[in-house]
This record gives sequence, structure tokens and C-alpha cells, in this order.
Amino acid sequence: MRPFCFLFLLLFFTSCSENSDEIRIVIWHQKPPGEREVLETAVKKYMAEHPNVKVIVLYKETEELRSAYIISAVAGKGPDIVYGPSDQIGVFEVLEIIKPLEEIFDTGFINQFDPRGLLWYKGHLYQIGDQIGNHLFLLYNKKLVKKPPEKMSELIRIGKELTKDIDGDGKIDQYGLVWNYTEPFFFIPFLTGFGGWVMDSTGNPTLNTEATVRALQFVRDLKDKYKIVPRECDYNTADALFKEGRAGMLINGPWSVGGYKKAGVDFGIAKIPRVDETGLWPAPMVAIKGYSINVNVSERKLPYVIDLFKYLVSPEVQLEHTKALGTIPTHKKALESEIVKADPLIQASISQMEVGKPMPVVPELRAIWDAMRPYYQAVLGGTISPEEAAEKMQQLAIKKIEEMNE
Amino acid sequence: MNEKVKKILIDFSAYLFLVIFTSLTIYPVLNVVSISLRPADKLLSTSLSIIPEGATLSSYISLFTETLFLRWLLNSTLISLAVMITGVTLASTAGYALSRFKFFGKKAVMIGILITQMFPATMLLLPLYIMLIKLKLLNSYLGVIIVYTSTALPFCVWQMKGYYDTIPVSLEEAARIDGCNQFQAFYKVVFPLALPALVITALFSFMSSWAEYVVAAQILQEPELYTLAIGLKQFESSMATQWGLYAAGSLFVSIPAVLLFLILSRYLISGLTLGSVKG
Amino acid sequence: MSKRQNIFIIAFLLPAVIVMFGVIVYPFVYNIVISLSNMSLRHFRDWRIIGLKQYVKVFSEGIFYSVFFKTLIWTFVNVSFHVLIGVFLALVLNRKSLKFKPIFRTLLILPWAIPQVITALTWRSMFNYEYGAINIFIAKYLNLSPVEWLLRPFEAFTACIITNVWLGFPFMMVVALGGLQSIPQELYEAAEIDGASAWQKFKNITLPFLRPVMAPAITLGIIWTFNNLNIVWLVSNGGEPADQTHILVSYVYKAAFNLYRYGYASALSVVIFFILLAIGLYFLKKTRAVESVYE
Repeated sequence: MRPFCFLFLLLFFTSCSENSDEIRIVIWHQKPPGEREVLETAVKKYMAEHPNVKVIVLYKETEELRSAYIISAVAGKGPDIVYGPSDQIGVFEVLEIIKPLEEIFDTGFINQFDPRGLLWYKGHLYQIGDQIGNHLFLLYNKKLVKKPPEKMSELIRIGKELTKDIDGDGKIDQYGLVWNYTEPFFFIPFLTGFGGWVMDSTGNPTLNTEATVRALQFVRDLKDKYKIVPRECDYNTADALFKEGRAGMLINGPWSVGGYKKAGVDFGIAKIPRVDETGLWPAPMVAIKGYSINVNVSERKLPYVIDLFKYLVSPEVQLEHTKALGTIPTHKKALESEIVKADPLIQASISQMEVGKPMPVVPELRAIWDAMRPYYQAVLGGTISPEEAAEKMQQLAIKKIEEMNE
Repeated sequence: MNEKVKKILIDFSAYLFLVIFTSLTIYPVLNVVSISLRPADKLLSTSLSIIPEGATLSSYISLFTETLFLRWLLNSTLISLAVMITGVTLASTAGYALSRFKFFGKKAVMIGILITQMFPATMLLLPLYIMLIKLKLLNSYLGVIIVYTSTALPFCVWQMKGYYDTIPVSLEEAARIDGCNQFQAFYKVVFPLALPALVITALFSFMSSWAEYVVAAQILQEPELYTLAIGLKQFESSMATQWGLYAAGSLFVSIPAVLLFLILSRYLISGLTLGSVKG
Repeated sequence: MSKRQNIFIIAFLLPAVIVMFGVIVYPFVYNIVISLSNMSLRHFRDWRIIGLKQYVKVFSEGIFYSVFFKTLIWTFVNVSFHVLIGVFLALVLNRKSLKFKPIFRTLLILPWAIPQVITALTWRSMFNYEYGAINIFIAKYLNLSPVEWLLRPFEAFTACIITNVWLGFPFMMVVALGGLQSIPQELYEAAEIDGASAWQKFKNITLPFLRPVMAPAITLGIIWTFNNLNIVWLVSNGGEPADQTHILVSYVYKAAFNLYRYGYASALSVVIFFILLAIGLYFLKKTRAVESVYE
């Protein structure tokens, strides 16, 4: 008897009473912790000024956000506003689960944003960003590196000087360069530095090029020939080493900057150095992170959602993000502000972004990452040659794209 | 003399083995403690010291003051206790029926129960979600409890049956002769003897719900309803995890589970063996 | 079979059966249907039945067989260690003359109690080539050269197994402890008088009583381990190095979910299901787990 009474009580607790006069808007996002606080404060302010609107903000990790949104939106539900990196738009567009925004916002409003902060795809505006970024740059520990290198040869030289065994126990305690070198996304700057790219304008992979081979060889050399990176280094290892002050240079992105400030590392940001052989600046992938509107939002609710949306991408809210975390805003007014212009870290980030290349939004990119990863790691592990790897990556990418589009 | 020496030697080896093995077992746990005390959210460290340099309790303080941890704790406790009670109730009765009676289709039922466990869970999520939407069980504890119970039951039912099998039927027959009906024979004679198995069932039902993430994250859509597992996940971010909070949170998540085990293990080793129930 | 007994059986059995089967039936049938379809990114809402084509794809992929083989090894190595360690610890902890048993018991249950994600990641960091505790221990105290745990396929697989063994033995230990309680003491006393050795006591008294209690745990342990995606994924970071560290379920997850190939993923899952069914039935038959100890 007791168990059933208990269950009954639970049922009681779970039926949430809904106030029919109140508008409930749900936002799903994947913002890292520092940004989350900014968002939540902004939302609280909005709710204070709009007492009949309740905004619920839910965090989900990027991959999970993507699959959860797909499942719920296709089933007719899901949040009203979804926030994330631009590459999720490719998939959402195919599944027709986001609204075209140029039909909702007028041109005057849209023109307030820097064009790089808007995501147009297949003729429609699907996402308005609140930050441009997500790109990799070079961070350097000012105590160890006085002036950041401008060429790869300088980087290697500085790296060799810094990689040493400090306490004489036979183990290297300090490295010149650390970064998550096993993940293809972190390989892109080198690929572009040698003139390569992942796909052509129609989405076909272009991995079996000379540039790919040279870039693969170069990364492997950093580890095996010049020995300025640890033998095994994933994201968390690189992060920990830099925080402990045991790394001269690090390749990472804007999301990590807050953590290093908190750890008290005296660091600077610079462009990833030019490749000597080609003279090119490595171009990391640049993407926006922004808001989209769920296709399932009802006509009745839409005006409220639009109002909240405009608030979330307003220059004021964008600058709050910038103040807290150094993100690059997208609103033209925000970009002109003192906060942006006076901060050297942000300026350095902007200069890296300007030589970057926009991240492709098409779903095929996922297949390409999956194809690159095993062979890229095999090259680093020394089990195949760069030539073989480039060829195999290409074939696997073609195969996976075919499979995905069946 | 020989017997005594042998006994002391065996006891000594047993202690030695236990100490070594336990130390090896808890070493990773100590690592988690280090992560929780480390400043600046570092998963790894180049130093092996358990108490890190600059050790700070700030993660623990944040955990309780800046997050909804206590709320999640309450939610998880409610859900897991509900699953535990339901699991024990349903499994103790179902296991008994399977142990004592022969009936048409019995083998099919037993194997069928096992079969429900064999399907890879990842594939079941999408249809489960659709089903829950249709039944309006989304965003409710009831939905979560039902799903958890259904995943915990197969093991519990089998476990109870297996344990009942070790209790001779003659005891119930004796009780029947004394005037009890089937239900009373079950409740008064067999049930108490199955205490160790009931403990295992309770513990298992609780543990399988306590830290479960995937199903809970799919069903619960409101921060006030979040369980501990979902809450912990909030600290995780593909490239900016707050390891300090995450480790501290994980340790606190384990405490109730360990406490439950402490309380229940007394009944696990109750010593209420058949030998003590004669006549 | 009296009517009264029938009602009794139904009353006792039905609620559990309804809960167990009710939740699974719809998803199960849904999956079978999808496995016969072409559901994918381009055919998400407008999928159609295309027959067994997805199954053909599953079996014609060379990787399937090697991953299957790896999964078998993964399962049997893990479960064997879980059971051996669990039972052994239970026997030791059941010894009347030892003190401090509650402390040991509680400490030994920690791997089960602590959320898997943080412990799996901690183990991953312990396997780090330069900074991980394991290599430091090996180099310092055993004077062997450090192992590239996460960089080589065989070693990475071993690392996952070690982590999973650590996570899984407490459960078997608890079940075994419970099982040991069901054994009447007089049997041991009688055997003592008859001059039986420790091994004989174990084989003829302990084992038969443990079998029905451990059988569910072992059978289900095999099933759960076979399908355990989490540990392999977390310790190897999604199959590294170079997608070599996979078991069937992590392979399904990566090959299928990353690219939204739901039809293919369903077919692969159905195949995994039938493999497990075969293994499960075989194991049930061998351990005669459906019968009781007194029959």
C-alpha cells in the first residue's frame, strides 16, 4: 500500500500548474560557464522588464544539443530559441526545423549587424550571431615568451629553447608548444598554412592534395623531429600544462580564455605564425555562434519570441559578453565601442579572425571530420606516411559522404 | 598448535591482501578528490600529490552556494527512492511466482525478461521519446520512474528468483500445514529469509537510477526538476569543463549511495541463514 | 493448477511484466521497422521501407567482424575478472575472524558509487604517457619502461578493460556476499568433520549455492558489458587511436549517429541484439540458471 501512496504523491508534485496568461519561452544553448552567467543575468533583466514573460534557459553540451534539438523539433516540440555554432545549421536546414529569419526581421534590423555575424545559407538567413569567433589562435605565456613568433621557423626556435628538463630528473618539465593536436579541427590552421582546404565550393572533399601532405609532415615533425610538443597531448593535457605555466605557447580558442585568466596566467594572444615555405598566414576556421528560431513556434507566441531575440543580440548584451570573456561582437555599434577597441586581447583575436576562413556549414563537413580523424592520428602515431594518409582520408571522406546522403 | 598457526597466517594474508587491494581501488578516488581541491579547473596535473598545491575548497563552496546542487539532490533522492521501493515490491513478488510455480510459458517469460536488456540503449531513445510525448509523460518524474524501474527490474526479478530457489519449499509446506495460506507463507516465512537478496535488489534499483543521465536528460526539461546527473553535466562543456565543480559534485553524489550501502549492508550480512530458522 | 493459484501467480507476476515489457515493446518494434528503412539525414521524415539493404551493408563492412571479435574479448575478459575478483573478495570478507570488515566493504564499493564519467576520465589521465600515475609507478617502482597506453591500439584497449574491471567488481562482490549468506553453516561443519579440504568445501558446498544467486548477475553482466558504450568511449576519447578502440556499440554510435544514418544504426543494433540473444541463451543453458539448487 505504502509504495503506491508514495507514487501518487509524486504524481501530484509533478503536475506543474501553468498560468495561462504567462508566456513561456524556452532557450537551449551550449554556452561555456562564463558566458552562461552573462546570459542568465541578461535574461533576468529582461524578465524584470516584462513581467508576463517567463524565460527558461537550459544548457546542453554542443553535440547533445544538436541531437536533442533534432529529436524534439522533428517531433513537433523543442525550445523556441536555439543557440549554437553555425555548423549545426546545415543539419537543421535539411530537416527543416528552423525558420528563415529574413522573413521575420526587416532589412533595417539585419543591416545593423556586421555581415560576418550573419549566417546566410542556401539563400536564407538562419542564424544571427552574438559573437564571431570559435577560431583558434596562438596564446603565449609572457613569462616564457617575450615576443610571439611571426614565422614558423621562429616558433620552432623558441620552442626548442623552452623545451627542457628543469629539475634534472630526466623528464621534460616544460614544453615549447602544446595543443590538442589529435583533433582535426586543430589541424586546420596548418592545412591552410600550406595552402590546403577541406572541400571545394560544391562540398566535395579536397584532402588528397600536396598541401595536406606537407601539413601532415609538418605537424608530425613538431612532435618527432623538433620535439617541442609532448608525445601525448590531448585537450585537457594541453590546458593543464598551460595553466601550470609549463608551456610556452598554446593553440586554443576564445572559449578557453576565461579559464586562463582565472588561473592567473600572464598570457598574450597572437596570430598563428606564418608558414615559411608558403608565406601564408594559417587560417583557422571562423564561425559565429548565434540564435535561431524553432520552426514549431506558434503564430501567437512569435511576437514575444522576436522581442526576446532582438534583446539577446542587442549591442548591450553582446558587450556584456565581451566585457566578461573577450568575445568579438557582431553588432556594428558594439564593434565600434571602446571596450572592443581598447582591449589588446580582443584586438589580437580580431586580427586572427580576419585571416581566418569561414567554417563550412554543410552537413558534409561532419563526414569529412570523421574521415580525417583516424588517418590524421595514424600519421602522428607513425603508422602511415603523410602521402598515404592524405589519399586514404580523401577516399574515406567520399565514402562517408555517399553513405550520409543515401 | 598447527591449526592456530595456520589460522593466524591465513588471517594475516587476508588482511595484507585487503589492504593492498583496497588501496589500489581507492587511488583513483583520491585523484578525484585532488581534482576537486585543485584551483583553476585542471583535470590533469604534472604532480602526483593528492593534496594539490594551492588546494582550495572554493569548488565545494561554489557547489553549495552557486548551483542548484541541493535541489538536484532532493530530486534525485525522490526518484531513486521511488524506483527502489517499486523495484523491491515488484521484484520480490514476481521472483517468488517464478521460483515456486510451474506454468505454461514460464520459460518464455524468464527469457523474455532477459531479452529486454539486450537491445543497445542508444537506439531506444528516439522511439522512447516519441512514446513519452504521446503518453504525456514528458517532463515528469513519473515518466522517469517508470523507465528506470523497467530497466532495473530484469536483474532484480532474476536475482530474487535465484535466491528464493535456495530456500527449500519444505518451509512453506510446514507453514501451510500450520494453517497459513500461500500469501502468508510467502510473507511470514520466505520473505524474511530472502533479506540479503532484497538488499541487493534495493541497492541495485537505487544505484541504477541515482547517477543515470541519458534518459533523465531526455525527459526532464526544467531546471527545477533536474537530477544530480543532469546537474553535474552542466559543469561539463566540450572544451571548458569546470573540473573542480565536477569532481566535487561527483564526490557528493556518491555519498548518499555509500550511506545507503552502509545502512543496507547490515541486512546483507544479517546472518539470518537457514541454520538459525529451525522447526 | 487451481484457479486460486492462477490468480496468485498473475497478481504476483503481472505488474512487473507489464512494466518491463510495456516500456520496451514500442521502441523495439520501432527499431525493427526503421532497420528495414532508409531513414537518414536526407530521408528523415519521408523514409520508406527498403527491405534488408541495411543489413547487407552491415555484413559487408569488413570492420564489423573485427569489431565484433574485439567485443567478444572485451566482454569475456571483463566479466571473468569481475567475477573472480568479486567472489574472491566476498569469500575473504565473509571470514568470521577478520575485523574492520565494514570499512573494507565500504571502501571497496566506491568504484560503483562514484559517477562513471569522472572516474573514467580520471583513469584516462592516469594512463597519460608522461604524467599518468600508472607509468610513473611502472618506471619508478618496477623499473620497466613506460607504456604508451593511449597511443597504441592494443594498449588502449587494455586500458579500457582495466578501467572497466575496476568499475565492475564491486557489484559482483556484493552479489556474491549476499549469496554466501544463503549457505547453511551446518554443511561446512559437517564437511569439516568429514575432513574435507578448503578446495573441496568450496567446490561442493559454496559453489552450488552461489550458482543460482550469481547466475543472474553473470548473465546480465555479460549483456551489460557487451553493450557498455560509456567506458570505451570515455577512456579512449571516442575510439582513439585512429578509431581502433571500438566495441560494437561505440562503433554504432560513431558510424551511425554522427552521420544521422538511423536506418543503418537500427540494423546494426538489431544484429547486436541477435548476437547477444544467442550468447545469452547459450549461457543460460550451460549454467542451468533457470533451475534451482534443490531440484
